[in-house]
Amino acid sequence: MTLMAAVDASVKVAGLQDLTIHRSVSSIPFAGRYRLIDFALSNLVNADINSVGIFASQPFGSLIDHIGVGKSWDLDRRKEGLFFLPTTHQNGGIATVGSFRDFEEHLQFFEKSRQTHVVVTSSFVAGQLDYKEMLAHHLASGKDITEAVGASGSLKSYILSRRLMLELIRSYREKRILSIEDLVNLKKAPYSYGVYEYKGYFAIIDSIQQYFKESLGLLDENNRRLLFLPQAPIYTKVKDEPPTRYLNGSNVSNSMMANGSTILGNVKNSIISRAVTIGINASLDSCIIMQKCTIEENCELAYVIADKDVYIEKGVKLIGTADRPIVLRKGERVTKEDSQ
Amino acid sequence: MNEKVVAMLLAGGQGSRLKSLTYDIAKPAIPYGGKYRIIDFPLSNCTNSGINTVGVLTQYQPHALHRYIGLGTPWDLDRHQGGVTMLPPYAEIDGIKWYAGTASAIYQNINFLTSCEPDYVVILSGDHIYKMDYEKLVEYHKEKQADVTVSVLEVPWEEASRFGIVNTDEDMNIVEFDEKPEKPKSNLASMGVYVFDWEKLERYLEEDNNIEESTHDFGKDILPKMLKDQQKMVAYPFKGYWKDVGTVDSLWEANMDLLDPSAGLVLHDPAWRIYSSNPQLPPQVITKTGRVQGSMVNEGCVISGTVKHSVIFQNVLVEKEAVVEDSVVMSGTKIGRGAHLSRVIVPPDVTVPENYRLLEPAAGITLLTQDLIDSWKESGQQ
Repeated sequence: MTLMAAVDASVKVAGLQDLTIHRSVSSIPFAGRYRLIDFALSNLVNADINSVGIFASQPFGSLIDHIGVGKSWDLDRRKEGLFFLPTTHQNGGIATVGSFRDFEEHLQFFEKSRQTHVVVTSSFVAGQLDYKEMLAHHLASGKDITEAVGASGSLKSYILSRRLMLELIRSYREKRILSIEDLVNLKKAPYSYGVYEYKGYFAIIDSIQQYFKESLGLLDENNRRLLFLPQAPIYTKVKDEPPTRYLNGSNVSNSMMANGSTILGNVKNSIISRAVTIGINASLDSCIIMQKCTIEENCELAYVIADKDVYIEKGVKLIGTADRPIVLRKGERVTKEDSQ
Repeated sequence: MNEKVVAMLLAGGQGSRLKSLTYDIAKPAIPYGGKYRIIDFPLSNCTNSGINTVGVLTQYQPHALHRYIGLGTPWDLDRHQGGVTMLPPYAEIDGIKWYAGTASAIYQNINFLTSCEPDYVVILSGDHIYKMDYEKLVEYHKEKQADVTVSVLEVPWEEASRFGIVNTDEDMNIVEFDEKPEKPKSNLASMGVYVFDWEKLERYLEEDNNIEESTHDFGKDILPKMLKDQQKMVAYPFKGYWKDVGTVDSLWEANMDLLDPSAGLVLHDPAWRIYSSNPQLPPQVITKTGRVQGSMVNEGCVISGTVKHSVIFQNVLVEKEAVVEDSVVMSGTKIGRGAHLSRVIVPPDVTVPENYRLLEPAAGITLLTQDLIDSWKESGQQ
């Protein structure tokens, strides 16, 4: 029994709007150096799945830039490998995972495959789902569709046979079901539904609050130990950044730091992405700073999410709360006048 | 550049003064700067200079290098045309052609060069740390209508007698080579970076091969012979950071230079990136008890102790109450609780036990090998 995979990168998540103006949910930066889709893709390739279709809808420029030909995931193959499968619908993407309309547009991907079973997965869950184990469980259970469920809910990953997948794509209009997720939630007859119990760490990123909470949750060593397994690496696009520099007078504690940054100020309880500059006497507490941001000297930030390329001029003070972090959109420039 | 430039990168050196760091790997493969290997610098210089045909000549312990460079993907050298070609010694009907000297290494691969059809050949060394635009060097060579151009660096006068010194006239024409002179007449040191017109190089390599007493070395044989024959030889004045790391002390110094902005080597430079093979590791974490000052730290590290003025490679654990200062810690190393390291280079994958102290602090830099650690354990000082 062998697996192919359909990754839903077109799903719309209403609660993440501030971070998805220029990108899909799947390419939201997470954990300092990753994009959300890295976790889904890495889980798949770590289970030796070599035929992976990414179903995307606009805007997917950032996603294409990130994925390329799939080299970072070893998916640049002669035979099979990575398939980028965008929808032609103007308003592609629905609110549940595994849209049959998207799959229907690329029916050939499923028809031409050699594999017997299909993984359908979301692209906004970070975890370490073992698809080999899940497939074994699925086969042993004899159910038609198996859903991965963890302690705090569904991972929105499903396994079903390719034959059933084709049947569903051909009959979804008449059955009036939009997606795999809807089908499983409604438990439509005549199919049988099983659950694969997932015991590891996972984070569902479906709102800004969740994004904030789960990001800072990685400062807990136990979570990191469960997410970053040496035997199952999380792969991402490589950037050739030099190691991060901590200058004299800087003070960093309880923080996760990606490469290529230059730290002169104070950082605690925060996640700092690649190539960030934090100026002298700036203080950051409980912040998520994405790549290429600049925080100038004497800034005071707490509970702030700064998207890529945000520039915060000197002396700016921004204080959010854990429930309502301040979100700065991609490329925004904040001056002292703005923040008063 | 319309004319074709091929780079030949000499990477066969042993670097025996680097002790156990080079027991298993050639000198160009030595880890440097928190994530690089020394050979990343000349390779990245080639890529950034638009040279995309590169031959890498290996001989001593080549496996790590061959595996590391692979198809040349990290340096964008996986090309249909050109790209990187690994050139270890090989056997022919006449026997195995070992590389006796720098010139013989190139001579043995003359067929490779001929097949590349170059106009100019740039000879590089795989064990120097510097950022250099070879395109400018080749342009200079063309402007001067030289047969060979030698890149030179101004060194402090008091150190000039340690280098191969190049004496020039006011137009930078080379008039004399002075190998490690007692009384240097100039402070321009050869960097071991040369540009040759291919035809001239081919002719002189052939000639040199037939001279029995030759050591087949560019500096000792080829260049002096060309000077004697009154070929047009010019010096190209390079300005910037350049370091040949031959010893444990100089490897340590070169790492410390990265922590000193006035030293002149900047890695945070998007316009001239140094490419390297990137392991897929999570970001580094500085924990609640961790403290990092004046240092560089790479991905995958977890720092719970104190790190001061040090370069820390990927996947290093520094446990609580451990102190690392003025040191270079290579990848995969674990530094146990309460250990105290100062002025050391820790080779890859070493486990430093809890409360470790150097037995006798040395004057220079200590290479903290597993042997040293074992003898500390036996001494019962823990």
